[in-house]
Amino acid sequence: MDYIILSVTLLAIGIYGLLTKRQLVKVLISIELIAMAASMNFVLLASSLDRALGETFLILAFSTDTCVTAIVLGLLVIVSKKYGTCDIRKLAEIEQTEKGVYEENKS
Amino acid sequence: MIVELIAVGLVVSACLAVYLDEAVYSVASLACVFVLMAILYALSDATFVAVFQLAVGAGTLAVLFLAGEMLSEKPSREKSFRNMFLVAVVALLLLLPSVFLSVAVTPANVSSSVSFGQAIWDLRAIDVVLQGLVIMTVAIGIAIVLFERKEGKS
Repeated sequence: MDYIILSVTLLAIGIYGLLTKRQLVKVLISIELIAMAASMNFVLLASSLDRALGETFLILAFSTDTCVTAIVLGLLVIVSKKYGTCDIRKLAEIEQTEKGVYEENKS
Repeated sequence: MIVELIAVGLVVSACLAVYLDEAVYSVASLACVFVLMAILYALSDATFVAVFQLAVGAGTLAVLFLAGEMLSEKPSREKSFRNMFLVAVVALLLLLPSVFLSVAVTPANVSSSVSFGQAIWDLRAIDVVLQGLVIMTVAIGIAIVLFERKEGKS
């Protein structure tokens, strides 16, 4: 069983979700998968080489990952309350419409 | 054999987490990924990390469950079992390279006599303190953002 290839597989699944999904919650889940794939390398290589430093790095990485999740969820709540949707394409359309209205008002 | 079974569960759950449209089912699949990953860590003698993974995962998943239920729109059509089966087959195909191929890892010439406690408190003590500060700042910042929105609304 090769952990590096397993982590690359998880990374590929995460990147696929990041590129194809439109819901922001799903994008966040894909980011979680990518972060998990990256952190898996630290732990499993560190434990196979008997080095504790890799596990320590992972605990630091987990905290950063949790902070990222919290910030993204906070932004997601704000976006959802303001625009009533979490769909990336709809949000892009709304932004384009708002930009058009702004340009009209300016001219 | 146990590790291979866990890896199968890991990849299938990850595929379902990305594939399923209903956010709650998707987060449930992500919960499976978290738990299986923690078991994998525990089997690799990284017990501290496994416990940490479960603790962090519990909090993250609870928040994601709430956010998924509250913020996601309902999917227009249900996914059929046939499609889900196809996703599971694709996941198994994706797993094959990690079972049958291998990448040679050359160990770096670094001393391995550092224990976990020494590593975290002697070598990375400043990082640990700073990460606590970052987490506290993020928690306060998010609380302020959401509180201001509530105030502005009323």
